[in-house]
Amino acid sequence: MFTALMLLSPVAAFAVQTSPPVPTEWWVWEIALFVFSFFLGIIAVIAGVGGGVLFVPIVSSFFPFHIDFVRGAGLLVALSGALSAGSPLLKKGLANLKLALSMALIASISSIAGAMAGLAMPENVVQLSLGATILGISVIMLLSKNSAYPEIAEPDTLSKILHIYGIYYDEQLKKDVSWQIHRTPVGILLFIVIGFMAGMFGLGAGWANVPVFNLVLGAPLRVSVATSIFVLSINDTAAAWVYLHKGAVLPLIAVPSIAGMMIGTKIGARLLTKVHTRVVRKLVITLLAAAGLRALLKGFGI
Amino acid sequence: MKQELHANRVQLAYASVLSWTSSLGIFFIVAGYVAYVFRLLPSAASPAEVALHWHLRATELHKVVNVPSGWNWIAQLGRGDVLSYASIVYLSSVTMFCLAVIIPVFLKEKDRIYTVLTLLQIAVLGIVAAGLVSGGH
Repeated sequence: MFTALMLLSPVAAFAVQTSPPVPTEWWVWEIALFVFSFFLGIIAVIAGVGGGVLFVPIVSSFFPFHIDFVRGAGLLVALSGALSAGSPLLKKGLANLKLALSMALIASISSIAGAMAGLAMPENVVQLSLGATILGISVIMLLSKNSAYPEIAEPDTLSKILHIYGIYYDEQLKKDVSWQIHRTPVGILLFIVIGFMAGMFGLGAGWANVPVFNLVLGAPLRVSVATSIFVLSINDTAAAWVYLHKGAVLPLIAVPSIAGMMIGTKIGARLLTKVHTRVVRKLVITLLAAAGLRALLKGFGI
Repeated sequence: MKQELHANRVQLAYASVLSWTSSLGIFFIVAGYVAYVFRLLPSAASPAEVALHWHLRATELHKVVNVPSGWNWIAQLGRGDVLSYASIVYLSSVTMFCLAVIIPVFLKEKDRIYTVLTLLQIAVLGIVAAGLVSGGH
C-alpha cells in the first residue's frame, strides 16, 4: 500500500524519472485516499487505536495535500468515528457522561487554543512538533500497560461533588462492576494538555485519554475506552470548528477519509477475533514511528 | 440486562439523539459528496480546480479558489461543493444537538452542577461554531 502511494506521488515519480512528472488525476487521489483510509480503519480497530492518530502523520507524508487540510480531515475522521460508536456505549452504561462532561469543558477550550496555535504555526514547525509527538505516542503505546479493574480505596472530594461513579455489566466477568475514581484534579490538568495537542495536530486523542482515565483516575478499562470516545467527540467538535472557519476543511479530502475509515472500522471489528492483535499492534507502532520520523525529517527540510 | 440499571435517563436521552443524528450525518456526507464530484449540481470550483491547489496552505488556497469556509456558503445551498461542505458542518454540530437535548433532563432531575456544566459546554462550542474565536495567520 505504501509503495503504491510512493509511486503515485509526483515527487517520487520525479525522483525515478528524467522526464517531468505527469500530474496524477484528482480522482486517483480520491480513490487512493478512500482505499488507504479503509485499510487504516481495519488496522486501527485491531490495534486498539483511534484512526485519527494514524491518519494525520501518514497522509501528510504520502499524499500531496497540505497538512492544514490533513489535520482538518483527521479531526473529522476521529469525530465521525466517535459519533457512530457512541450510542450503544452510552446505552450499555460503558461510557459515562458525567465523567466525560467533567473533563471535556476545559479540555475543549484548550483544544480550540491548540487548533488556533497549530494553524498559526509555520509548516516546518508543525511537522517537527507532529513528528516528535507521534514518536512520543509510539513510545507510550509500546510501554503502557492498562489495568482492567483498578482498585480505588477512596474517591477524591471533587469526584464526590461531581457524582462521578457508575456501574456497568461486564461481559467477561458476567456480572455488574461498580466503579469510582480518584485524582480528579490531576486528570483535568492532563486533559488540558491532551486537548491542546489534539487540536493542534488534528489527532484523535484516544491514545492519551484512555491511559489518563484508566491509570490516573482509576476508571475500569472498558469505561475508560468508552468514555474517551465522548471526550474526543466534544474536543474534536470544538477544534473542527476552528479548522472550518480557517478554511482548512476540504470535502474532497475529508469525505473519502471519513467514508473509508468508517467502513474499514466496521470490517476491522469483525476481524478482531480472527487475527493476532499483538502482531497488528506492533505493526501499527512501527508505522507510527516511521511516520513520526518522516514528519521530523520533513520539518528539518530533508 | 436492564439498560436503566446501568445508564441513567440522561445517558439514554443523549444516546437516542446521537443514534439518529449521526446516521443522518453519514447519509448527508455521502449525498453531498456524490452531488459534488459527479457534478449533479453546479459548483463554484470543480474538484479538478481544487486539486490543483490542495498542496497550498488553507489561507493561500482560499485566495485562488472559491471554496466554502466558515458560514460564507449559507446563501448558496444549491451548489454541489456547498452541499458537501454543509454535510461536514452538520457533522460538526451533532454533539451540540445532543448536549442541548440533555439539559431539560438534568433540570428535571434538579442536577444543577451538570445543568451548568452542559450549558457552559454548549456555550463554548457555540462561540467557536459562530466564528467568534479567531486565530491563524
